[in-house]
Amino acid sequence: MPYSQEPQPPLKNIRVMDLSRVFAMPFAGANLADLGAEVIKIDTCQTQFMDTTRTITGPFPDNEPGKYWWEQGGTFQNLNRGKRSLTLDLRSEESQRMVKELVRVCDVVLENFTPRVMDRFGLDYESLRAHKPDLIMVSNTGYGHSGPWSNFGAMASALEPTHGTGAFMGYMEEGPDGRLLEGQIPNKMGNSYSDFLASWTALGSLMAALLRRARTGQGQWIDLAMYQTGTTVIGPGLLDYSYNGRRTRRIGNRHLVWSPHGVYPGQGYDQWVAIAARDDNDWRAICQTIGQPELLSDPRFADSIDRRRHQEEIDEIISAWTCQRTSYQAMDTLQEAGVPSGAVLNAKQALVDPHYLDRKFFEPVHNPPELGLRPKGYVGRAWKFSTSETGIKGPAPRLGEANDYVLRELLGVDRENMDRLLGDGIIGNIPEGGGAPDQISLDEQVDLGWIAEFEADYLERLPPV
Amino acid sequence: MPADLLDGLKVLDLGSGISAPWCSKILADYGAEVIKVEPPGIGDASRRMGPFAGNDPDAEKSLTFLYLNTNKKGVTLDPSTVTGRKIFDRLLGNADVLVHNNPPAQSKELGLDYDALARVNPGLVVTSIAPFGQTGPYKDFQATDIVTYALSGLMYHSGDSDRPPLRNVLDQSFYVAGANAASATQVALFARLTSGVGQHVDVSAAECLGGHLVQPLPYYNYMGAVKGRRPVRGAGFEELVPARDGYVAPSVQGSQPWSTIARLIGLEELQDEKFATGAGRVAHGEELKELLIKGLAQWDRMPLFLASGGNRLVFGMAQDAGDLVDCPHLQARDFFVDVDHPVAGRASYPGMAVRLPGEDITDSQPAPLLGQHNTEIFGQELGYSDQDLISLRQHSVI
Repeated sequence: MPYSQEPQPPLKNIRVMDLSRVFAMPFAGANLADLGAEVIKIDTCQTQFMDTTRTITGPFPDNEPGKYWWEQGGTFQNLNRGKRSLTLDLRSEESQRMVKELVRVCDVVLENFTPRVMDRFGLDYESLRAHKPDLIMVSNTGYGHSGPWSNFGAMASALEPTHGTGAFMGYMEEGPDGRLLEGQIPNKMGNSYSDFLASWTALGSLMAALLRRARTGQGQWIDLAMYQTGTTVIGPGLLDYSYNGRRTRRIGNRHLVWSPHGVYPGQGYDQWVAIAARDDNDWRAICQTIGQPELLSDPRFADSIDRRRHQEEIDEIISAWTCQRTSYQAMDTLQEAGVPSGAVLNAKQALVDPHYLDRKFFEPVHNPPELGLRPKGYVGRAWKFSTSETGIKGPAPRLGEANDYVLRELLGVDRENMDRLLGDGIIGNIPEGGGAPDQISLDEQVDLGWIAEFEADYLERLPPV
Repeated sequence: MPADLLDGLKVLDLGSGISAPWCSKILADYGAEVIKVEPPGIGDASRRMGPFAGNDPDAEKSLTFLYLNTNKKGVTLDPSTVTGRKIFDRLLGNADVLVHNNPPAQSKELGLDYDALARVNPGLVVTSIAPFGQTGPYKDFQATDIVTYALSGLMYHSGDSDRPPLRNVLDQSFYVAGANAASATQVALFARLTSGVGQHVDVSAAECLGGHLVQPLPYYNYMGAVKGRRPVRGAGFEELVPARDGYVAPSVQGSQPWSTIARLIGLEELQDEKFATGAGRVAHGEELKELLIKGLAQWDRMPLFLASGGNRLVFGMAQDAGDLVDCPHLQARDFFVDVDHPVAGRASYPGMAVRLPGEDITDSQPAPLLGQHNTEIFGQELGYSDQDLISLRQHSVI
């Protein structure tokens, strides 16, 4: 094949069957769609078996699920943008057979069922490979397809401490003399951190498998265990045990070597700025910036060892300066002096942050008007290619919108059988059983601590999409 | 032996610290031949980062360096000298990928910007990792992990809602950036199969983390709500609760009914029907949390975790480094690899993030000593004589 240097999507000839649900693999699939792959999400009309991001995760526009609530969820939309949707009922043998037929014309399968489920459906890698010898399949589970815990289910929120991140994260605690000591209580990054580690790992491993397939024609099964993936990002911490016997280290926002290091309060509710002094030069710049050059001759702060010992005093001094400024003002002033510093942005701030906007990180997506979703920015990708064309192709697919395309065009199902599948409730466009989820009012969510605050005029505060 | 997925792929790692070395380690584990190029004399900055084996701050004993650079070859070279650049260009000519995390302004100064590299080898994929990418108002910001985490929008959600945002674990920003860079690099290699030419890949660490905002972002642009940190109120599920020997993370997620959860924890009061629905657990949150704390205080972590899995529940437990290294499940999956390093000694290292059935992955080569492969790469592969290598050393080129 002759080379073509026309800019094009890198994965434009790749077709992906996405059997996955919730966060980790759907997000990997969304990224593949952004790269040009045709990603077919296997949906279902049975509400109780639907991807829970369609049914319960939300958020819904102005917290009110609309007529087409199952198409509306903001998290669902971000995680499934640019895909196609085929409804099936994986419990039925006919649907299982259609999956196998569809595998013949796919390159990649993504799934995240616990191992026993795919075995029960007869859709394990060996069974699918019989229909597509060079299939690349990512099976994402909590604990993997081998080992004593392999059939344990998992969710990121409880998995994160299990894979050890809590051993190296936690607030410092007051000791008997009132000074802060290493903490005993583990904490979490939260925000489903483990899921995203799995998304990135899935992308990397399946790209490696695609490159080998192009070279040798071989397929590959990728057994991705989120538990195992999570331990790879704390490698030096595990080696600290292997070599030195150390099990944990929880030093809040401090740094092992540098000082000062932490987050400091800015003006306004729950506003913070992160500051890190990597060396004496940074410390000098901080003292000059906050107008206290006399600190430079204070013996308590002479070098980083002294400063670590006296960081509580330094924290008070810096906080007194930061709290008279917005987090952005503090950041800009310190950056001008060459000090690493950054405002701790919340999502509201990130959406209007000049750097994110300059790099067009939030990509505009338009939904059909009847869904009642105004054009919105969705999270983009962290990679800019100098020549390949990438980008969000469109909104998340409406339930079953590709039923005709996949079943008639790709699999050659005739009109009569299509009607029968429709009559049997296997294919369709409307959820069966169960309605829109009840929402808790935003006022009540503030009381419960689920959200920090809300603003009724948020649309006016957002940049035009 | 690493996997063979990327057999034949040649990668130059010009990285320092965590992000680019982690990217090239992932590629090495998939089978690429990675040559790590370090500045003569001092080497990669991570050689000076702790922790250290035996708490000895030796450049060959940094555990960060040792972990991030297994399965690579190491040379020293200063491409800012005329001779060094000539040698460097020969390495470039043979490479498929160059990955680095130089600050954007520095790349141009050093003649390591994409245009300069592509003139030497148009087939090269150049992956540049920076805290905020190669463009935009923050591109030249001074940044560390905590600064990147802060500006990404993710740190705001870490920690407790009644305390300040809490820093992530062990420089996570740069692991997430490295993993993203490994994927994006391979995407560019895949595109090269049809284009025949390489390209530049600009990876922003802050955006890698920003990608995680799939919930907080629509909370705001769908309904004006600002998601905060995890609430200290509420029923205590999905949070860390003390057990007898540490902390556990009870969960109501999964498909099992409340009765299974109540029975597992084993406290009779929990069987009350009023806790059986999500709305009920919200309404009786405080009471439930007390019962949960009381019930879980009777458990040790591992028996609870195993009973949860056996009952198709999804509880977690807080494990420390020792628990993980000794974990029977990870051992049964042959996750750890045995690495014997000539200076730091032998130890069990975490292996690959994924298991690749059918691939024969047995052990890992230890991270290279500073300049360990100079003779092999410059001498045997590029043809410099022993005398040439002596001169190059004398002039601090290698």
